[in-house]
Amino acid sequence: MDPDIARVLVESAVKIALFFFILLTVVAYMTLVERRVSAWIQDRQGPNRVGPLGLLQPLADGIKFLFKEEVTPPHVYRPVYLLAPMLIFVPALVTFSVIPIGPALELFGQRVRLQIADVDNGVLVILAFASMGVYGIALAGWSSSNKYSLMGALRSSAQLISYELAMGLSIVGVLMAAGSLRLNDIVQHQIEHGWNLIWQLPGFLIFLTAAFAETNRLPFDLPEAETELVAGYHTEYSGMRFSMFYMAEYANMVTASALAVTLYCGGYHVPGLHLLRLPEPAAALVQVLAFGLKVGFFLFLYVWVRWTLPRFRYDQLMNLGWKVLLPVAVLHILWVSFLVLMNWT
Amino acid sequence: MTIHLLLGLVLILFVFAAVRALAPSRALLAGTVLGIGALALLAVNYQALLSPEFWAGLIGFVAILSALMVVIHPNPMVSILFLIVNLFCIALFYLILRAEFLAVLQIIIYAGAIMVLFVFVVMLLNLKAEEGLRLGGGPQRWGALLLAVVFVLLMFHALHDRSDQPYVEPGAFESGFGSARALGGLLFSRYLVAFEAASLLLIAGMVGAVVVAKRKVG
Amino acid sequence: MRVEFFLLIGALLFTIGCAGVLIRRNAIVILMCIELMLNAVNLTFVAFALENQSMTGHIFVFFVMTVAAAEAAIGLAIVIALFRRRRTTDVEDASLMRW
Repeated sequence: MDPDIARVLVESAVKIALFFFILLTVVAYMTLVERRVSAWIQDRQGPNRVGPLGLLQPLADGIKFLFKEEVTPPHVYRPVYLLAPMLIFVPALVTFSVIPIGPALELFGQRVRLQIADVDNGVLVILAFASMGVYGIALAGWSSSNKYSLMGALRSSAQLISYELAMGLSIVGVLMAAGSLRLNDIVQHQIEHGWNLIWQLPGFLIFLTAAFAETNRLPFDLPEAETELVAGYHTEYSGMRFSMFYMAEYANMVTASALAVTLYCGGYHVPGLHLLRLPEPAAALVQVLAFGLKVGFFLFLYVWVRWTLPRFRYDQLMNLGWKVLLPVAVLHILWVSFLVLMNWT
Repeated sequence: MTIHLLLGLVLILFVFAAVRALAPSRALLAGTVLGIGALALLAVNYQALLSPEFWAGLIGFVAILSALMVVIHPNPMVSILFLIVNLFCIALFYLILRAEFLAVLQIIIYAGAIMVLFVFVVMLLNLKAEEGLRLGGGPQRWGALLLAVVFVLLMFHALHDRSDQPYVEPGAFESGFGSARALGGLLFSRYLVAFEAASLLLIAGMVGAVVVAKRKVG
Repeated sequence: MRVEFFLLIGALLFTIGCAGVLIRRNAIVILMCIELMLNAVNLTFVAFALENQSMTGHIFVFFVMTVAAAEAAIGLAIVIALFRRRRTTDVEDASLMRW
């Protein structure tokens, strides 16, 4: 085999395995973090029995889910019912592959990017796979042949479509400032001209709100509003398939946080790091850790908001999306065009 | 030693449970056979797996198959799913044909927006599978068959005639081909009027859709 | 890689879509078959764009996508309106304006 192709294949395989492992571990531990933090907010203890500080709790949960009986109700449309959890889980993972978690560095005599795929249209790829997430929810609701599932799925797809628009428009500002769709260029632009967070605060807030809605988290968790819809689109799921919906939700949270960091908070950039004159591998390590820390902050924000704000009503949700976020996002684009025109960014 | 045995046992159980959770038995068998076949192919001739011809052929096969399923499946929702598979195949073709930007647009616009609309309508109307396939009347059916055969023959003829045309050399053109920048440059210079007209069309389409679909009040 | 291969796939997809429009009676499936035909044409455009080293074909595809989006929105709105009146999506039942 051509050694060049072999090298690329091996490098990609190693990176994919590594990213997959990291992402799934973070997802598993997010379930624990969520329960511990919510307990802390409500002045409780939370799960602390399995292992030290409850650290083995995700493992126990995973084993429990795997060995639970899978109940497939007789009235479901089976092929689509089985397909739906995978359709929701896969885009959530794939999106992460274009996000750079660190700078390129010399490793074993090769220049290695800490990113699975350095795509020219990286931002668009993310939007494309984010829009794929609707299918899993819509099909899960439809194939369950259950009125609550169908209602939850209808609500959810309408919500996802509405907030996708605001999200896309808020990202336009970042693209205009960086003049590129490649995520590495966007990070580089922020390293040179300061984080987008500073100049594009409205865009950042819109993005964050839309990201909460896209991941179906409180205050936008209407699709599964358990008090009205039992559990929404995953009412009829059990065992491992049910847990796939949950893992997808957390994977989406991780991806959305990583995206917010990359687009608005300078990605892996640590201000003033070059003053320390660290050797390259050490600097790269610090930057990767900084990226992880920033993502961790946004993940904490997700949990924090969940236990702080009450749920929106459906008409409030639609009004917020269409009548507030969308016009503000358009105004924000005008503002960024002004900035670009004056050469301020 | 025992801990290794235990871990191995847990791993086997884990894999077994995952497989049981994801696939019914017959699909499992088919999947295993296909997987072993793919591995055998990989072992015998890995060069073929790296050639673009192999992948283009595979994608083309899936595209044709999914298009046929769109037409012949009685359940509209399943038709939609197969159409999405077909759209993805065409996006992959765009990638092979160096139209990267269009490939992503294809997924965002077709798979991400238009097909979601279809899914939404099927859910809203709660359509079920047709009992037997409702087809058009006799003359229409045979006319369609005849047209299809004639068209395919015609296309084969046309393609046969141009078979002395040169091959496409990958990498024989400028580097910006198919990028967002190149397409945007064209759209905002030579095709500006058409571009603005397209925005009018979208507005008209949006207003039209709302007016046609809205429930009459009072 | 030969361009003919893509032209052939495009032709076959177009034929399948065309046959679908002619034989199916469910309005939603007919709309989907129209999308299939548009996509087949798009594929041909992109293949020729590569052969001629000219991006005009890409521009065509861009506009076809725009028109397809508008067409799908209007078409599905009509299907919903039809379903409200007749409780069906069968095009044979929408025969009021037919002679």
